[in-house]
Amino acid sequence: MENNITSPAQPRVGKVAFSGQAGEFFGIWIVNLLLSIVTLGIYSAWAKVRTNQYFYGHTRIDHQPFRYLASPLQILKGRIIAVIIFALFFALSSLSPQAALLLALPFMLLSPWLIVQSMKFNMRMTSYRNVRFAFHGNYLGALKYFVLLPLLSVFTLYLAMPWALKKIDQYLCSNISFGGEKLQVNTDTSSYYIAALVAFAAIMGLAIVIGIVAAIIGGIAAATAGDSIDSTAGRGAVALMITVVMFALYFVGFALSGAIYQSMIRNHLFERTELPGVAKFKSEMQVIPYAWLILSNLLAIIVTLGLAYPWTKIRKAAYLASVTTVAVYPAIDSLVDEVQQDSNAFGEEAAGLFDVDVSLA
Amino acid sequence: MHNTTFVQGQFQFAGSSTLHAAEAELSPQGMLLIRSSDNKTLLAQAGTADYRFGSAVPGLAVELRLRDGAVFVPSDNRYRWPRLSKRSALAERLESHKLSIVAALLLSPLLLWWIIVDLMPMLASAAVPLVPDSVKQQMGRQTFYSLQKTTLEPTELPAEQQAMVRYHWQMALNQLSLEQRQYQLHLFKSDFFGANAFALPDGTVVITDQLVSLLQDQPDAILAVLLHEIGHVEGQHSVRLIAQSLGATLVIGIVFGNPEGVADLLLGSGSVLLQNAFSRDMEREADQFAIAKLTALGKSPQAFADAMAALLASHGDDGEQNSALLKYLSTHPDTRERIEQATAN
Repeated sequence: MENNITSPAQPRVGKVAFSGQAGEFFGIWIVNLLLSIVTLGIYSAWAKVRTNQYFYGHTRIDHQPFRYLASPLQILKGRIIAVIIFALFFALSSLSPQAALLLALPFMLLSPWLIVQSMKFNMRMTSYRNVRFAFHGNYLGALKYFVLLPLLSVFTLYLAMPWALKKIDQYLCSNISFGGEKLQVNTDTSSYYIAALVAFAAIMGLAIVIGIVAAIIGGIAAATAGDSIDSTAGRGAVALMITVVMFALYFVGFALSGAIYQSMIRNHLFERTELPGVAKFKSEMQVIPYAWLILSNLLAIIVTLGLAYPWTKIRKAAYLASVTTVAVYPAIDSLVDEVQQDSNAFGEEAAGLFDVDVSLA
Repeated sequence: MHNTTFVQGQFQFAGSSTLHAAEAELSPQGMLLIRSSDNKTLLAQAGTADYRFGSAVPGLAVELRLRDGAVFVPSDNRYRWPRLSKRSALAERLESHKLSIVAALLLSPLLLWWIIVDLMPMLASAAVPLVPDSVKQQMGRQTFYSLQKTTLEPTELPAEQQAMVRYHWQMALNQLSLEQRQYQLHLFKSDFFGANAFALPDGTVVITDQLVSLLQDQPDAILAVLLHEIGHVEGQHSVRLIAQSLGATLVIGIVFGNPEGVADLLLGSGSVLLQNAFSRDMEREADQFAIAKLTALGKSPQAFADAMAALLASHGDDGEQNSALLKYLSTHPDTRERIEQATAN
């Protein structure tokens, strides 16, 4: 079936295929939602696993799907820990702001550990062709990249932020391995600065246009309808309209800047990342289609009071797959999983208490 | 079930990415044999204790995992094993059956609504007595301290007006047989709050000079305002509001997860709306407390309506109150509604 080795270094090149269907996923989502509500959130762990299984299983590279391996009980455990931490922090900060301030420092020191733990767990639970991914980051590395660098960039008035973001991406990606081979990342700092600048310029441009339009409309309204604005109903209507317009603009700005930054960075990151001898990647995201996707997804969710959520999730996954190309080298057919050797495939052995992803979502 | 099952698919040894076209053979007793499709050599064999089925998810093949980590995946995505566990099969049937989907579509919003509107406040009320008094004291002291530092200035009211307010305060406390040691009245001048009054969880009640001046000709209205604030303390509203908001945030967060940043955006505004709704409910509760106690003290509930009317007049006739949408952005019920409530009694 797979023994079609033509010449040793010829890659099989193809788009990532996504076969999830909005209608099908809607059923999964809404039924799991009801079960989660009825069980007061407990079933949400099963819901998360089934949702991930659906999306992983419907994402194929070179005709082979991904697999999500986590068991619901592991997810449940992580959620219970997350709920306790969140509730304590929420209650404390509401009851006594001073105590919350004191807690901020330990929490800041704890967060790199949580990030590493989460990455390790999620990578280990992702498998492709029966080979698991792995994450090799450690606490000190995460502390440096997720706490110290961002703190440092605050002191440079955020001028160093794109550089810090590049370092963070590089740290995350280059510590991922698959079949004993680490990802090689060779990103440029300049690309991050350009992406951040373009996103920032787009926001500023939007703000200027809005400012001009608002001034013109305000001027016209004041000149023509000076009397009617004084009436209470008129003022209420204007206040309401301003609120709605502000919300809408906030969404547009959010979608546009997000789309610009994400598509530029993803394209660059994929271009400069490879799994040596095994796979190369290419991402061809375009700003306008992606911005429209984000914006229309948001709109659909709002208009349908959340019911369009499954459709938006499928649509986004399908789009991201359609702009991603992977070149797979024949070495992929004979990889060996190093992670799996030391663990029972059924996950029956007692894992440590914190062998979980501490996360609410 | 009674026949041996043959399934075509692909097989991978433990931890190996090499794919083998294979055929699985499952006997009625559950004995599993996996043979290569090419040359029929035996690739794996296992008893019922040494293999498991993966989850049945709509649209995806159900894999068969061996204890050592080897995997067999049927080529047909729709194929379902005869020995699949009941629970796994049930989840998939529910997720793809029209009836259960429609039921979930109808029931989910109703139940979610009930949990947030009825269950959460109930649980919060039950949880509040568990919060030790020392915590409430601490909360009150800290808030009071920071307010004093930022927005409150010493009162500038003439002595007789202060005495008048304190007289009504004492009257309320005595009549309601409340512990005086717990309740503390403070008068402050505050440009930030304007004509206003508020209560802290430890029993500290603050009324501003501006509000006293506004109601100086209607002493019963001052009494009504003080009773409203006592209602907040008696109902332990500060702690309850925290408990309810926490509960609602957790429920929404867990049930919906975080749909890629969408939640941050929507939940942020959503939880503010919810918190405001909770706050409006508590204002109504404090209103009802004040009205009931006014009657108990032999006063007319009209005094409360007078206080509200005076406040409404002093704020000017805001157009805000007219908008149905802006109602949800407010922490207090519509003032006219509160007046009607008082006069209806």
